[in-house]
Amino acid sequence: MDLRHVLFTLALICANDSLSASDDILQWPQISKCRSPEMETFSCFWTAGNFYNLTVPRILQLLYKKSNEEDWKECPDYITSGQNSCYFNASYTSVWTPYCVQLASKNEVYDKKCFSVDEIVLPDPPVHLNWTLLNTSQTGIHGDIQVRWDPPPTADVRKGWITLEYELQYKEVNETKWKELKPRLSTMVPLYSLKTARDYEIRIRSRQRTSEKFGEFSEILYVSFSQIGIGCDHCMEEVEFPWFLVVVFGVCGLAVTVISIMLSKQPRLKMLIFPPVPVPKIKGIDPDLLKKGKLDEVNSILACHDSYKAQLYCDDLWVEFIELDIEDPEEKNRASDTDRLLSEDDLKSHSCLGTKDDDSGRASCCEPDIPETDFSASDTCDATSDSDQFKKATEKEEDLLCLERQDNDESLPNLANTDPQHQCRNTQSENNNVWAPFEDSIESPHLSVHTQISNQNSLTSTDFYAQVSDITPAGRVVLSPGQKSKLGRAQREGCTEQNFTMDNTYFCEADVKKCIAVTTHEENEPHVQEQGYNEDGYFTAESLTTTVANLGAPTAAVPSSEMPVADYTSIHIVQSPQGLVLNATALPVPDKEFNVSCGYVSTDQLNKIMP
Amino acid sequence: HSLKSLLLVALLVSHMLLTKEGVTSLPICPNGSVNCQLSLEELFDRAVKLSHYIHFLSSEMFNEFDERYAQGRGFIAKAVNSCHTASLTTPEDKEQAQQIHHEDLLNLILGVLRSWNDPLIHLASEVQRIKEAPETILWKAVEIEEQNKRLLEGMEKIVGRVHSGEVENDIYTPWDGLPSLQLADEDSRLFAFYNLLHCLRRDSHKIDNYLKVLKCRLIHDNNC
Repeated sequence: MDLRHVLFTLALICANDSLSASDDILQWPQISKCRSPEMETFSCFWTAGNFYNLTVPRILQLLYKKSNEEDWKECPDYITSGQNSCYFNASYTSVWTPYCVQLASKNEVYDKKCFSVDEIVLPDPPVHLNWTLLNTSQTGIHGDIQVRWDPPPTADVRKGWITLEYELQYKEVNETKWKELKPRLSTMVPLYSLKTARDYEIRIRSRQRTSEKFGEFSEILYVSFSQIGIGCDHCMEEVEFPWFLVVVFGVCGLAVTVISIMLSKQPRLKMLIFPPVPVPKIKGIDPDLLKKGKLDEVNSILACHDSYKAQLYCDDLWVEFIELDIEDPEEKNRASDTDRLLSEDDLKSHSCLGTKDDDSGRASCCEPDIPETDFSASDTCDATSDSDQFKKATEKEEDLLCLERQDNDESLPNLANTDPQHQCRNTQSENNNVWAPFEDSIESPHLSVHTQISNQNSLTSTDFYAQVSDITPAGRVVLSPGQKSKLGRAQREGCTEQNFTMDNTYFCEADVKKCIAVTTHEENEPHVQEQGYNEDGYFTAESLTTTVANLGAPTAAVPSSEMPVADYTSIHIVQSPQGLVLNATALPVPDKEFNVSCGYVSTDQLNKIMP
Repeated sequence: HSLKSLLLVALLVSHMLLTKEGVTSLPICPNGSVNCQLSLEELFDRAVKLSHYIHFLSSEMFNEFDERYAQGRGFIAKAVNSCHTASLTTPEDKEQAQQIHHEDLLNLILGVLRSWNDPLIHLASEVQRIKEAPETILWKAVEIEEQNKRLLEGMEKIVGRVHSGEVENDIYTPWDGLPSLQLADEDSRLFAFYNLLHCLRRDSHKIDNYLKVLKCRLIHDNNC
């Protein structure tokens, strides 16, 4: 036996060497595939290889083993599936159990495969293909058919043991390439727009639904329309749609149209087809106005736009404004100074929204609301509000306005006593009293004044400014009503008497109620500063949004009672990015002849003032 | 006038008679309805859809994993493995599936689903630690875990409807393969994943098949 074995091996090697170069390649016996058509039985097929005939006839065996078994068993049925096959019937098949099969002969194992039956399912092809005509086109050139078939008989689809998918392929008889349809579960499918003059071939194959591999194709089904008398032999060959010509002519026509539109003199048509691209434009700024507008208007526009923070502030306080509106409708109705001013002058018409020049910057700012928004700012002040007191205060203050000067009002002596630093264009002398420096006014009644003013402020109808009186350790800014409010108001009123087209609120206080922080206690001489108008506009917004560095000890809620409060402060140090140290420095007193337009300072005037 | 009404009545009656088969199928529950109950057919439809989807995902995931990690490592030869659910005696061929009582089969399905709850959770989390795991595999692991939960809920509903007696809840095998998924040696770890995914594909196929058999048996009277 050993000798035979050795001889056999030698022969094999020689044969291998001699035959390797030739076409006849020696092949080992191999298991070609194992397949289960219906998941109830399975068969394995192998190829015997070339050397079967060479020396000693080998008897190949197929041995199998289930995963939980130890011994290899021999194939139960070599015949049913044909030559070189092994058939395992239902009793030998366990679907989800791993099997291993090996092709061996006596001592030698040629091939081995491991699998489980659910992985090797390849269904038989469908049977009983047939087709029926659905309809034909009007011209009779095209027709639709419905193809039907039955599932393979071996697959038990009715009991749900196996679920099959079908793929249909069809082509014209003299074509070479098959057209495929998507796999589907149903056993019928329509085919549309088949040419009645041609004959078609159809074939179908199936697979288990979650597998990738298809089984064999079914027999080919021939479709011939002429058999049922519909064939259109005398029909013209359908002309293919001349896509190329259509595209070319379409492009040419379009080009001609476009060119003609562009060259045409008709502006309307041009606008319709080619709408003009909007040029960049800053909202609220009219370039024409900048070119040829009056200085005042230009200043107003610029100021309005530069104080974008004021605008933000506007937006923030817009909400508060609304709240206040709801809360205190009555108090608003009180004849406060602001209201009077507003109603008298029809401030709305002077406001941004009401300017004749629609393009001015004012339109974008919430002008008329600014006075009210100031009051909301005042809510943040520590002022305790007393509505009655406020009422009195407002009424009294009204008297103090430019219109009716009542210098004897005790509550607001400062207004009466102060000397004007600025003059409105309006020559009313009472206006001159408005911009008195604060220090004159700061006396004992200030306390009451303050409270009154704060009451006023809290009732949100009159004051325009608020001072930053304190900064809490948490960083919050405590606002208290400012003396300037009266000034502002008077100023405003005086200014409103003039025919200003710009909104007074801009220049007068930039709508921020600011309690000017007594940041530097060094300076006890706050002077009204000329550029305060403009600065104020910029200032107040900024001061509200920045935490003012308090150099001194945080003053009490009523700082003015202790030290003079500056009307305006200049920026001493900018502690970027969050801090501004305000310095109530004495700036040069403007010339008497300096007539500040109630509102903005012209650049010339500004240059005179600034050191 | 009378002729018209007679015609209408005739139409209605004929419609009712013709669609008598459809009476058994209840309408699908609209969203938010409290008292609506899905019919058993609807429940089975949804369960079969879910089980098919889960098997589809498992199959794809296994194929991707095989392509990406298993080639050249000789995993296939070793894949004659035993899954942790092998201790549950489930029908292995059509005959057994036909003979088993539907309540027992439902319980078995529930048992297999419950036994896979834990492994799927860990699979979803551990597969992320595989080096350069493709996004598709990660996503599928998470999706399978979610859908398995939903299928479990659906099956419990079905069992509640179908069961006449007490509900057996003790069919369950624990899974202790977590340490193998966390091995330091990459080859061993990948092999553990390979086995787990192989088992998942097999068991999801089982569940899918059993549910289809049950559906055809209970709903369509063996005439799918």
